[in-house]
Amino acid sequence: MIFAACAVLLIGIFIYVFYPQRKAEEQTQKTRLEFLRERKDVVYENLRDLNFEYRAGKYPEEDYAAQRAALENEAAQIVAEIDFLEGDVHAA
Amino acid sequence: MAAFGSFAILLGLVLCAYNLLAGTVALRQIAVHPDSTAMPERLAETARRAGIGSFVALTCAAFALVYCSFTNNFSVSYILHHSNRALPLPYKFAALWSGQEGSLLLWAWLLAGYGFVLRLRHKVDVKLTAYASTILAGIQIFFTLLLVFAAPPFALVQGAVPADGFGLNPLLQYPEMVIHPPMLYLGYVGFSVPFAFALGALMMRYPGEKWIHITRRWTMVTWLFLTFGIFLGAHWAYSVLGWGGYWGWDPVENASLMPWLTGTAFLHSVMMQEKRGMMKAWNVWLIFVTFMLTILGTLLTRSGLVSSVHAFAESSIGSWFWTFEVITLSVCLFTYLRNRDHLRTEHQIESLVSRESSFLFNNLVLLAACFTILWGTLFPIISEYVQGNKVTVGPPFYNRVAVPIGIFLLFLTGIGPVLAWRSTSFKSVRKNFILPTAAGVLTAVVLMAAGMRPWTDVGTLYSLMAFSLAALVTTAIASEFWRGARVIQRHTGKNLLFSVVQLTRRNTRRYGGYLVHIGVVIVFIGLAGSAFNRSKEREMGFHDSMSIGPYRLVCQSYTQDSNANYDSEYELLNVYQNGKFLLRMSPERRFYHASQQTETMVADHSTLQRDLYVVYEGKNPDTDQPIIKVFINPLVAWIWIGVIVMALGTLLALVPNMSAAQGTAPSRRPPVRAEEGIPQAAGVGD
Repeated sequence: MIFAACAVLLIGIFIYVFYPQRKAEEQTQKTRLEFLRERKDVVYENLRDLNFEYRAGKYPEEDYAAQRAALENEAAQIVAEIDFLEGDVHAA
Repeated sequence: MAAFGSFAILLGLVLCAYNLLAGTVALRQIAVHPDSTAMPERLAETARRAGIGSFVALTCAAFALVYCSFTNNFSVSYILHHSNRALPLPYKFAALWSGQEGSLLLWAWLLAGYGFVLRLRHKVDVKLTAYASTILAGIQIFFTLLLVFAAPPFALVQGAVPADGFGLNPLLQYPEMVIHPPMLYLGYVGFSVPFAFALGALMMRYPGEKWIHITRRWTMVTWLFLTFGIFLGAHWAYSVLGWGGYWGWDPVENASLMPWLTGTAFLHSVMMQEKRGMMKAWNVWLIFVTFMLTILGTLLTRSGLVSSVHAFAESSIGSWFWTFEVITLSVCLFTYLRNRDHLRTEHQIESLVSRESSFLFNNLVLLAACFTILWGTLFPIISEYVQGNKVTVGPPFYNRVAVPIGIFLLFLTGIGPVLAWRSTSFKSVRKNFILPTAAGVLTAVVLMAAGMRPWTDVGTLYSLMAFSLAALVTTAIASEFWRGARVIQRHTGKNLLFSVVQLTRRNTRRYGGYLVHIGVVIVFIGLAGSAFNRSKEREMGFHDSMSIGPYRLVCQSYTQDSNANYDSEYELLNVYQNGKFLLRMSPERRFYHASQQTETMVADHSTLQRDLYVVYEGKNPDTDQPIIKVFINPLVAWIWIGVIVMALGTLLALVPNMSAAQGTAPSRRPPVRAEEGIPQAAGVGD
């Protein structure tokens, strides 16, 4: 009985592990473009968050303006690089 | 069944080894020849499946051990030593983790369980998950090797098999012990997942911070389990050990607290990395250290290096854990040195008065607390090595250092959320801090007017500070909810309650986090009550009475009882509060037949104001009268309520944001006006 249980476990797992796969998941390397898109989303979220907190009266006008300018500058740089890389992708 | 269990463990080991080996080869081939055929990916897939298979195998092993326990299979040495026929069924189940071999099997099984979920969810990022799965397999190998060679749970008894087992340690025969160890282990083991992802991301030089996003829920769930495990342990100590306290700075308690502290630091500082690309190396090391501390905790529990209430788990497998710690540290150090340029920060801290600085302070304070506890815990070992005699560090050392640190942390809990990212101007500080500061000062004044004298002793001073800071933090957090809800209210025209719910649903992580902070405040209120604990002890025969605080206890009877598992002595006490009958309590002392050990069963009447905690200390051999010790412990219930609030906050933070849950498409352009913050406020903002 115990021998049969061991055999079932062994054979079952062996079949599961080595059963031929039709298509294995591809392990792709993340590109700079994907990274920049992620980064852009984060900066946009930071901007939305800043706006919300300003509306909530948490920051004075001058603090808000300075932080917003810094974030927009960061977003602009990221978007410019995305545009440049997308241009390269389309050209290719 | 024992043979089946042993076979399943062995199979688990082979599968983990295959996962590590095939996974490493496949990852190496893909790294060296990225454009090669699909062969390495197929190999990686078999490795992943082997990892899943290891969970199945170890589940079978765990089942086999529980089966042996339920069927009183005393031919298995582990069952003989940790169970007996009269043991109630839930404790027979708990036998799985009540001793060395079983708890290591539980660890290996939980680790395989976490790995199982991780490997099933591999599509979230196939390559990164392949790295994490391979690293996890390496950790699994260590634990299964232990089960095969150092602590086999299915080892058989040599010679004649006794008719009954030696029983479960009486300390463990308490309902919470059925859930405390698994919770703690889920916490310990769970940190392996963010560790594996962090190490994998560093090995493959993963671009961006998505690995943090992937592991965020893992880390939060793990942290929740560890929090629950720690506080369940504290509650168990309070209810079973009978010394009137819940935290004794026992080395094993400390061992669970250390990874909790570094894990908490990690949870906070990763937000800086996610939002601003900062503190990358710091975060990687925080999670490395957290993982190594979970192993150190097990090492301390198992090796008997330091004396502890958990000494029942002592053994000689410490060298295995030391070796594993050294290997882990070497791998982490090597990977870090090889790829440290990848962890270059994208921004610097711009101002000392900013959210980033508050997170940094929070991290430093948490690490200072962790180091203090580590130093105190290891001091007996260090002193023995240096001086030749073991010098144990007691609670006064920890209290002297940890209490001020805790109070400073409470302060940071309040100021962090109201500081802005990047920098906060003086005008902003003044605007956001007036109300919370006023609440804190007012609380201090009211408490002193009510009779609290902080200059009489340091305990009262700390309590006053804790109460005042609790008011400050609560006001700061409440004003955060209020401000945000007012924006929603103006936008939607709904009532404030609806707006608070909407606000929370839009950013569950942030507002769930605030709820956790409220839970921390409530816990601190409970801890602050300990400065006013009192106790009394006396012999109490028939109709003897004792008064303490507002209570009078009168002995109605004292007697003995017996059942198959234990004999007991207990006393029936009528409790009167301000002259009126309140309840009857029955503190008890048990003598367990199988283990031949005694155990205290405390009688506790808990209210929001105070606990009336009664201990049956035994009989005076000269007079044959029971000795009763009574404690009045103010505000203890707040600790347990605080933990529940912390848990609810964590669960809330795990819920996806409303817009994310409803599948709102992400914005294609930045919000250009302040007004645009409202409908899309579901960002990651923290």
